[in-house]
Amino acid sequence: MSIKFYLPIILLLLFSFSVSAQNKFTLSGTIRDGSSGETLIGATVKISGPANAGTLTNNYGYFALTQTEGTYTVTISYTGFVPITKSINLNKDTKLNEELKSTNDLAEVTVNANNRKNENVKSAQMGLERIDMKSLNSIPVLLGEKDVLKTIQLLPGVKSGGEGNTGFYVRGGAADQNLIILDEAVVYNSSHLLGFFSTFNADAIKDVSLYKGGMPAQYGGRLSSVLDVKMDDGNNKEFKFQGGIGLIASRLKAEGPIVKDRGSFMVSFRRTYIDLFLRASPDSSINGSTLNFYDINAKANYKINDKNTIYISGYFGKDNIGVKDLFENNWGNVTTTIRLNHIFNDRLFSNTSLIYNNYNYTVKLLNDVTNFKATSLVRDFNFKEDFQYFSNQHTLRFGLNATHHRISPIDITTTSEESQVNPLAQEKRYGLESAAYVSDEWAVNDKLNFLYGVRLAAFSLLGPGNFSEYDAEGNINQTDQVSNGKFYKNYFNLEPRFSVSYLFNERNSVKASYNRNTQNIHILTNATSSSPTDQYVLSSNNIKPEIADQVALGYFKNLDENNYELSGEVYYKWMQNQIDYKNAAQLLANSNVESELLYGTGRAYGLELFFKKKFGKLNGWVGYTLSRTERKFAQLNNGNYFPARQDRTHDVSVVGIYNLNQRWTFSSSFIYSTGNAVTFPAGKYVVGGQTVYYYTERNAGRMPYNMRLDLSATLEGKRKGRFQSSWNFGVYNALNRKNPYSIEFINDPNEPGKTAAEQTSLFGIIPSITWNFKF
Amino acid sequence: MKKKYLIYLLTAIIGLSSCKKIIQIDTNNAEPQLVIEGKISDRLIEQQILISKTVGYDEIGVYPKVSGATVKVSDNIGKTYVFTEKAPGVYVNRMQGVSGVTYKMEVTVEGKNYQASSKMPDLVKLDSIGVITNNFFGNERKTAAAFLVDPANETNFYRFNLYVNGLFSDRIYVNNDRLTNGNNLRIQLYYEANDDDDEGLKSGDNISIEMEGIDSNIFNYWYALSEQSGGGPNQGTTPSNPTSNISNGALGYFSANTFQRLSTTVK
Repeated sequence: MSIKFYLPIILLLLFSFSVSAQNKFTLSGTIRDGSSGETLIGATVKISGPANAGTLTNNYGYFALTQTEGTYTVTISYTGFVPITKSINLNKDTKLNEELKSTNDLAEVTVNANNRKNENVKSAQMGLERIDMKSLNSIPVLLGEKDVLKTIQLLPGVKSGGEGNTGFYVRGGAADQNLIILDEAVVYNSSHLLGFFSTFNADAIKDVSLYKGGMPAQYGGRLSSVLDVKMDDGNNKEFKFQGGIGLIASRLKAEGPIVKDRGSFMVSFRRTYIDLFLRASPDSSINGSTLNFYDINAKANYKINDKNTIYISGYFGKDNIGVKDLFENNWGNVTTTIRLNHIFNDRLFSNTSLIYNNYNYTVKLLNDVTNFKATSLVRDFNFKEDFQYFSNQHTLRFGLNATHHRISPIDITTTSEESQVNPLAQEKRYGLESAAYVSDEWAVNDKLNFLYGVRLAAFSLLGPGNFSEYDAEGNINQTDQVSNGKFYKNYFNLEPRFSVSYLFNERNSVKASYNRNTQNIHILTNATSSSPTDQYVLSSNNIKPEIADQVALGYFKNLDENNYELSGEVYYKWMQNQIDYKNAAQLLANSNVESELLYGTGRAYGLELFFKKKFGKLNGWVGYTLSRTERKFAQLNNGNYFPARQDRTHDVSVVGIYNLNQRWTFSSSFIYSTGNAVTFPAGKYVVGGQTVYYYTERNAGRMPYNMRLDLSATLEGKRKGRFQSSWNFGVYNALNRKNPYSIEFINDPNEPGKTAAEQTSLFGIIPSITWNFKF
Repeated sequence: MKKKYLIYLLTAIIGLSSCKKIIQIDTNNAEPQLVIEGKISDRLIEQQILISKTVGYDEIGVYPKVSGATVKVSDNIGKTYVFTEKAPGVYVNRMQGVSGVTYKMEVTVEGKNYQASSKMPDLVKLDSIGVITNNFFGNERKTAAAFLVDPANETNFYRFNLYVNGLFSDRIYVNNDRLTNGNNLRIQLYYEANDDDDEGLKSGDNISIEMEGIDSNIFNYWYALSEQSGGGPNQGTTPSNPTSNISNGALGYFSANTFQRLSTTVK
């Protein structure tokens, strides 16, 4: 694309700021929860008087509004909190730090509907879903472990990786095309227990936002989506404890002030105890087996002065699986984020982050002759500098980002002389991803809003290393030896991001967006679901950066004082440099793994309908997606488009939550989706004494459809002083439907010589019970 | 494979069980395709090249034999062997393959010509076979094993066939020495009896193991098939036809391989 393409964006950025304001002052401050001191993300601040304006608090609870001199009425509101209304004489730059009272503390106040009223209609942002952490608690899940990753799969445009799997697909993208960040740190593997649970302990989480499209320019690095998860800051007023005991896991969280009103901490711990049942077994080989995971979330913040606040947060999680004398497997993520919020002046807010994260796994085989230990590591150091500038009609955001990657694909060591496996240290790979971005949210007038920007993404593959090129058969053509610190291969991509909304009136709008995303770190896996031994590779001389261009158009409507939200979005996405595998590809422990890859393109398109009832005794939503996602590789399927495995034509989800009274809440979720696109045999033959199947079209068959109804009921206990407890009862797959997990082809037991398809299902009806408490 | 097994472990532990049932799938039956399976071994025997056709997915597994083909094999030291049709679709020539020699197969049938070549690897001795007892979740499980010494100076590919009481074990056993080059190898051949109370090998069972030294194309052929056999189409690798070394779109393969066979009785 030429510079002509970007010129309008650059001009827009330059000229939209050229009109300078006269006699204008800034009202700014931080909005917090009055009971915990937790900053409130996305609280609404509205002013009315000589002019009317409104804004939302940012990720750190900060807001700034600039208006002409005058006396204004300020209203601050947030769901579940009592709004504050104040009169302010804006004759100089003014600070307004406020704390809102939770409606939970005042039984008489009904839930206030003013927060972000009509926000979905007004904002230029498209494809954004925010998970309400309160409703998350009542949505039924497998074994009663509430889970943000499971909940986002109930939204239109987001497809589940399959039964019991946290892997998810957004708008036709692959599972490795989701950017999953926890307090800005990338979480490479977001699943526990092979995907049955996610790494996000809901107790420790404050806010979850999912971008399916229209990603703002501050995000980059993945094609499909951004899942931005933020941890709780901790209560800075008093010490609080909460926890829960469930069928397979227990949780405990502690939080409190470090210095009252200035700093706080939060520590949350979760562990499963399935292996305690194992240990109870009288059989020595079973009670020596392990099967557990745990995770720890910790965070602390301290307000140094009015202008500076420092945050330190970390996550540490580990899965352990082992069978005595056979094998051991453990894996986990570590993330650490240090952040400094600095307020330069009322209008300029900055956040500086230093981030460390790694993902590693170990596999040990303990057999007497095939014993070895294989380890693998992905490690990032990340520096981010982000600025937000609040002007009259503009919120400008710009910044820099640099990430250094180190990937140790595999390191095999043997533990005894007799081992028949040879030690192997596959060469490490180093890469530097850097980006600069600028974006502007521009409220042109009451009807027209723009959110536009551009991100310049650079990727460099660094030495040391030996980098080979391959011919079509996978033989090495040539190998370059590159020394330490050398930039071997560089890629630059300019990613325009553009969204616009036009309001017909307060309750109706249309929006359109275009955005380009690129990706330089890729997972190699030829199985469906996320696996702890997934292998990561960087873009290289062979692997080009993946590129996706997405356009979307949507209609948004609110009814009955924003009690009902309706939306319809259509999207079309083009993908370049997608990866698939040659026949008989050996992906693990293969120094020439890049010779096993095929490169192609993809396209995805669809329609998403969403209807949500936000308030009242009965609330919930209905989502429907009609979609298609296809890939095209010269070497596969005769070079024709074929459906990607996660191509599911229809996808329906219904979530209902019914608050019967103060004590009882009932909820249910129902999902239906077309089966995965899979390759079924079209014929068969015999070679080497084996029945071998003959395949024609790739992924032209369909697995049977998926359907599931989950139910849950929550009983709030009576409050005893500070102590409050609740019981959660759940039924997973209440219809006891046998949903397909896999199909294998076997000799038909009823008709000899014929072939039968045998379907395996994992979960029938599963009850669960969880006891939660806080004090 | 490991994931599948862990899922079973998990579901078993939390008191749940996975469930299996036969379902109907919607697929088209393909037109019959030509299948050629040619093998030249280093024994002096009637070497066989089999020519047949595929049948549709839901048809009875009776595979039409293809008669009237012209079949010959030539080597790179100037010899040509003409194969004659001994039985419908079965073409034979009594000869002995030699390690290091490249054999070229040429089949002309139904007006089309198919070619393939394969180089017979050097012989790696199958030293012995035996039975290994593993403790697997409290159950002792006996597994057949082949013992050999992998040569360090070359890349080797092996294929094994297991027979239990004369019955062919319907599983694919292929190995390469990518991670085990130059070592004493004990290669275990996992076995599931075709009944529900699967106990693996039992005392008194008679086992035979055939070991073939194969070339890289043949390894890739069998490896691709073995990757597809675990998990089925929704969980494993997306299935596709393995890359054949035969030209012109024929299914199957042509392999020049070494061959050894040893037998023993399970104690």
